[in-house]
Amino acid sequence: MSAVLAEPVAAAASGLAARLAGITVEVRGHGHGSSAGAPAGAGVVWRADGLILTNAHVARGAVSIVLPDRRVLPARLAARDVEHDLAALVVDATGLSSAEIGDSDALRVGELVLAVGNPLGVVRALSAGLVHATDRRFIQADLRLAPGNSGGPLADARGRVVGLNAMIVGGLAVAVPSREGWRFVQERLGR
Amino acid sequence: MDALLSLSNDLATAVERAAPAVVAVHARRRLPSTGIHWRPGIVVTAEHTVRTAEDITVTMADGRSMPAVLAGRDPGTDLAVLRVADAGSVVATPGDDAALKVGHMVLALGYGPRASWGVISALGPRWRSWRGGDIDRLVRLDLVLYPGFSGGPLVDAAGRVVGLNTSGLARETRLALPVTMVTRVADELLRKGHFSRGYLGLGMQPVRLPAQLGLGDSALIVVMVEPSGPAARAGVLLGDVLVALDGGPVGDLDDVQARLGSDRVGAEIPAVVLRGGVRTELRITVGEQPRRAG
Repeated sequence: MSAVLAEPVAAAASGLAARLAGITVEVRGHGHGSSAGAPAGAGVVWRADGLILTNAHVARGAVSIVLPDRRVLPARLAARDVEHDLAALVVDATGLSSAEIGDSDALRVGELVLAVGNPLGVVRALSAGLVHATDRRFIQADLRLAPGNSGGPLADARGRVVGLNAMIVGGLAVAVPSREGWRFVQERLGR
Repeated sequence: MDALLSLSNDLATAVERAAPAVVAVHARRRLPSTGIHWRPGIVVTAEHTVRTAEDITVTMADGRSMPAVLAGRDPGTDLAVLRVADAGSVVATPGDDAALKVGHMVLALGYGPRASWGVISALGPRWRSWRGGDIDRLVRLDLVLYPGFSGGPLVDAAGRVVGLNTSGLARETRLALPVTMVTRVADELLRKGHFSRGYLGLGMQPVRLPAQLGLGDSALIVVMVEPSGPAARAGVLLGDVLVALDGGPVGDLDDVQARLGSDRVGAEIPAVVLRGGVRTELRITVGEQPRRAG
């Protein structure tokens, strides 16, 4: 007997994983001393013109970006919002594959979510889980993250980015909602 | 529609179907636990989360806070039943726990609702909890029971309740009590306020049996007979070696407990003992295990 749903689910999930890997970047510190070149976290290609969103705690100083095509580019810190743990980085590139941004307000408890990041240095690794609760300022997901996931995308089953993974609290993944990402880009970058 | 999206929608719909019967139980300090509105006015939860018998409140899924009265508790199976007046008519939809298979995708729900997903990791036969209760069937879960999730429902992919989750019956292992067992124990708790278990009034220790007796490897030697207890009234003496009970051999204490379920209370069952090396048959009227204080 063939698997009626499990095989299409697996195929769809691997397709999404590849799509998300294509809009996820590595953020590396390139300051001084021991942190030089160390992977600090991940980021989301927000727009094709080189705008990248990540967590404020990932983009503390000068950083460089490793694009999905392995190009390494220096990034300019365009804006930072510590309260919402968001930072906007700009790299000199155009025509990048960019994220389709979803509506974090429409998330339902129990729906599937996928995360891509660099947990413990494993580049563009996938985690799968589901929405744990939606009654907080942040999205909580029943999903295993590790250091290095910070700033990377949390996406729904359509592959739309609904949040940026920011923290692990009590085993739960905690993500900044995409709604905050929109607001941040609108208010701080004016577009 | 894309298969992954269909699955995602199904899981979110399962949460929405089950969530209206998921309540918060405030019966301990700090963190509430979760309960299931089982039947109108009846909430079941995990017994180990009920730390007070008074001033219990329940927050229904619609946010109403209601006073609750502890109707019964059974530490052995980790089940407690609360009565909540005016709880409404939205109750859990039970599923078929006999249909569970290893690998089935399941959800655990906490009040809120909050959700956790995973799979049935193992199924096993009837087992005895360290708290002394007989659990119909082992249902081991590979999922995270987050703080406050004990007492909440295990939900299948269609949103039906197939079990009650608890972290109180085994260390480091997440288990669910099958829904049919929850119903049975809850019914008895509502009737009697506690869950009865058969009782002999004996203290026993395993002993090896000589192979030439042909009675198995081991049996139980009686080291204490409760005066006027069920076994004493049937004539069991200190030093007797119990080899069979209710038609089956007994090699250890688990074998005895397995034959002393709630249904045997009040029944007269045959027992075989070796007394001075002589096989002796007795009939014991099974008593009811005395309730522990508290």
